[in-house]
Amino acid sequence: MNVYSITLAGPAPWGFRLQGGKDFSMPLTVSRLTPGGKAAQAGVGVGDWVVSIAQLNAEDMTHVEAQNQIRAATDSLSLSLSR
Amino acid sequence: MMTQVETLVHYDNGYGYEEEYMLQEDEWDRDMLLDPAWEKQQRKTFTAWCNSHLRKAGTQIENIEEDFRNGLKLMLLLEVISGERLPKPDRGKMRFHKIANVNKALDFITSKGVKLVSIGAEEITDGNVKMTLGMIWTIILRFAIQDISVEETSAKEGLLLWCQRKTAPYRNVNIQNFHVSWKDGLAFCALIHRHRPDLLDYSKLNKDDPLGNLNLAFDIAEKHLDIPKMLDAEDIINTPKPDERAIMTYVSCFYHAFAETAANRICKVLGVNQENEKLMEEYERLASELLEWIRRTTPWLENRTAEKTMGEMQRKLEDFRDYRRMHKPPKVQEKCQLEISFNTLQTKLRISNRPAFMPSEGKMVSDIASAWQGLDQAEKGYEEWLLTEIRRLERLDHLAEKFRQKATTHETWAIGKEQILSQKDYETASLTEIRALLRRHEGFESDLAAHQDRVEQIAAIAQELNELDYHDVATVNQRCQAICDLWDQLGTLTQKRREALERTEKLLDTIDQLFLEFAKRTAPFNNWMEGAMEDLQDMFIVHTIEEVQSLIAAHEQFKATLPEAEGERQAIVGIHNEVQKISQSYGVVASSVNPYSTITMEELLDKWDKIKKLVPQRDGSLQEEMARQHSHERLRRQFAAQANLIGPWIQARMEEIGRCSLELGGALEDQMTQLKQCEHVIVTYKPNIDKLEADHQLIQESLVFDNKHTNYTMEHIRVGWELLLTTVARTINEIETQILTRDAKGISQQQMHEFRSSFNHFDRKKNGAMETDDFRACLISMGYDLGEVEFARIMLLVDSNASGVVSFQSFIDFMTRETADTDTADQPYILVEELRRELPPDQAEYCIMRMPPYKFPGAPPGALDYTSFSTALYGESDL
Repeated sequence: MNVYSITLAGPAPWGFRLQGGKDFSMPLTVSRLTPGGKAAQAGVGVGDWVVSIAQLNAEDMTHVEAQNQIRAATDSLSLSLSR
Repeated sequence: MMTQVETLVHYDNGYGYEEEYMLQEDEWDRDMLLDPAWEKQQRKTFTAWCNSHLRKAGTQIENIEEDFRNGLKLMLLLEVISGERLPKPDRGKMRFHKIANVNKALDFITSKGVKLVSIGAEEITDGNVKMTLGMIWTIILRFAIQDISVEETSAKEGLLLWCQRKTAPYRNVNIQNFHVSWKDGLAFCALIHRHRPDLLDYSKLNKDDPLGNLNLAFDIAEKHLDIPKMLDAEDIINTPKPDERAIMTYVSCFYHAFAETAANRICKVLGVNQENEKLMEEYERLASELLEWIRRTTPWLENRTAEKTMGEMQRKLEDFRDYRRMHKPPKVQEKCQLEISFNTLQTKLRISNRPAFMPSEGKMVSDIASAWQGLDQAEKGYEEWLLTEIRRLERLDHLAEKFRQKATTHETWAIGKEQILSQKDYETASLTEIRALLRRHEGFESDLAAHQDRVEQIAAIAQELNELDYHDVATVNQRCQAICDLWDQLGTLTQKRREALERTEKLLDTIDQLFLEFAKRTAPFNNWMEGAMEDLQDMFIVHTIEEVQSLIAAHEQFKATLPEAEGERQAIVGIHNEVQKISQSYGVVASSVNPYSTITMEELLDKWDKIKKLVPQRDGSLQEEMARQHSHERLRRQFAAQANLIGPWIQARMEEIGRCSLELGGALEDQMTQLKQCEHVIVTYKPNIDKLEADHQLIQESLVFDNKHTNYTMEHIRVGWELLLTTVARTINEIETQILTRDAKGISQQQMHEFRSSFNHFDRKKNGAMETDDFRACLISMGYDLGEVEFARIMLLVDSNASGVVSFQSFIDFMTRETADTDTADQPYILVEELRRELPPDQAEYCIMRMPPYKFPGAPPGALDYTSFSTALYGESDL
């Protein structure tokens, strides 16, 4: 279990596919990275879990909630992940 | 000294002695009435005369009419002047006592031949002066004057004659009477001078000095002649005629002091001779008496008859003491007196120039002395004998008492001992009780031994009593005998009891030992039996024939030990019987309870019987078990035989299917057909499985869980069968899916073959699935330059279940998706018309309703945002 944090400089797209959520009974994970994208450049890995989005705990978020949180970030996006 | 012819001048002496006496009395009466002066003189003179005698008795009189009233001094006077004892005076103070005493005096006077006329005791007691004086004169006359005898003249005349004779040489003295002749005092002096010229110088005397002469004579008489003054010089001078009686009285004293006439001398000598003779007679008499007394007493002292009791002996001793204290002393005195008398007599005889006194035969001093010596010796001997005897009797008494005491003590001790020793208490005693009894008996034995001494002492005392000739020795002997007999009896009984106790102890001890032996052997035997019982009833669970065989073998081994056990059992029974036998034959009541063991004979025998029954039972069970095991074995074999066929058959089918799926050549449809055929075969094979199941059930019902005849368990077969079924179904499905996919994705047969070959190539294990490494290699070969992250993503996509393998279907999906994926990625919207065209109508409407319009600029009208929709649908969104 290795938790790490990243801050991506905006604007979107951030270059990753988010899968899962509380409503899907699956943890929020990165299922795909856009090659050369901001997420890939920041060192995010496919299969990493999203622990928090903008310092908010992502454990109990639904997919839509998580999606909205990420979409709300404009200038920068802070994430904590775990691999 | 001038010798004179002594002429006898008689003074009025015409009558006889007695008549003269009577006459004198008449004169006296007359005189008394006439002259008080004479009374006075007489009083004085008589008082002095009485006192001259009474002083010898240590008493005096003051008043002549008073002091003789009670008669005591009167009697005393008479005793002194007569030298005789009067009867004892009455000691009373009453008048009649006094009269009685005076009468005793008067009677005495009368006994001396004096006739007392008109003198009565009452008058004297009443203090009649004239009577008293008269009585005194009578006494003086009788005792001082009457016995005077001079030249055959007696009494008054004799006295007168004596005075004349003695004063004859003196010219100026002429004594004619007893009154006026004496007035000048020269007569007194002449009398004194005649006898004691050393006392006065007569030549110096003068007739004209009567007072001086009288006083001189009286003084000298008092001082040197021991004649107290009885006359008063002045009274004599002044009285014309002095009292005749007074003068006579006083002169009689001179006579008695001086008289030594021949007659008197002869009288004296005669008197002395008479006295001597009397003394001699007295001596003889006393000597005889004494000797007689000695003669009487000596046998008594020599008597040695012993008395029986101490009391009697002590009385004898008392008598002896009395003898010593009371009877002998007077005799001693008598002897002494005898000696004194003898000596006095001899002295007197010697003085009188008489020959010595020779006592008669046998009465010599030496005889008396030797007799007395004999007496002393006899006394001593007697005393010694008495004391010895008393000691002897004392000893005997003491011994007898000692004997009695000891005998009594012993008899008391012995009470009940016989009964105690005769007890049969040991017959019902236990071992510890017997031991206690033995201890107690030991104690008794030592007590007995201690008493042995005492019994011997008693016997010794009895012996001594016999030797010392005790008076009641018969009783003593009887008692002693009884004690000794009982003693012997006790000894015998003691011995018998000891033997009985010891014997009983031995028996009980033996029994105890047997009990112990019994306990020692029964304990392990009992344990063995219990163990055996447990083993024999042991529930066994066996699964193999070998196990049963080993149990049977063990059982046989056990059965082999039975004879030995039987032997032990018999030994134990033997011990038990031994105890019974001893108990019965010796009449010893052994306790039926074994103190060492809680296990009874009955228990043992009972268990033994049980064992005896269990052994064949076990044989049976084991045999049964054996049969069962055999039948199980049969089942096993049966099962195994079948399983060994079915297992490989299934395996073969699996391989077949595998091969089929891996085959490259031929169309999917052909594969399908093959598979379907296979499936059919499989289905028709089912009955075999069912039969196996049935056999397996039997085996299971028999609780057989192992089968070494086959490695295939039912589970294996079952699983294998299931797997076979599922594999065939899956494989069919796969083919079907492949067919579908091929058809859906428009993959050509050739493409499919390519995919297939790639897959097969990289499926190193050839099991229809690619490992991750295989897959990686495959991707690389296809030109994918993968980083780890990308590969992981891909893996995630391909193996969403994270099973670690990639199936051919997934592989195909991935391959087809990759090519098709990019198509939709750049277009975030979809047109309504596309939805209606692509999807079934209801699905299309569903999507159209739910998809939000795509709001971004540049979008054609009616564009729907499907990303958020798909996001909502799939949980996937690109950000």
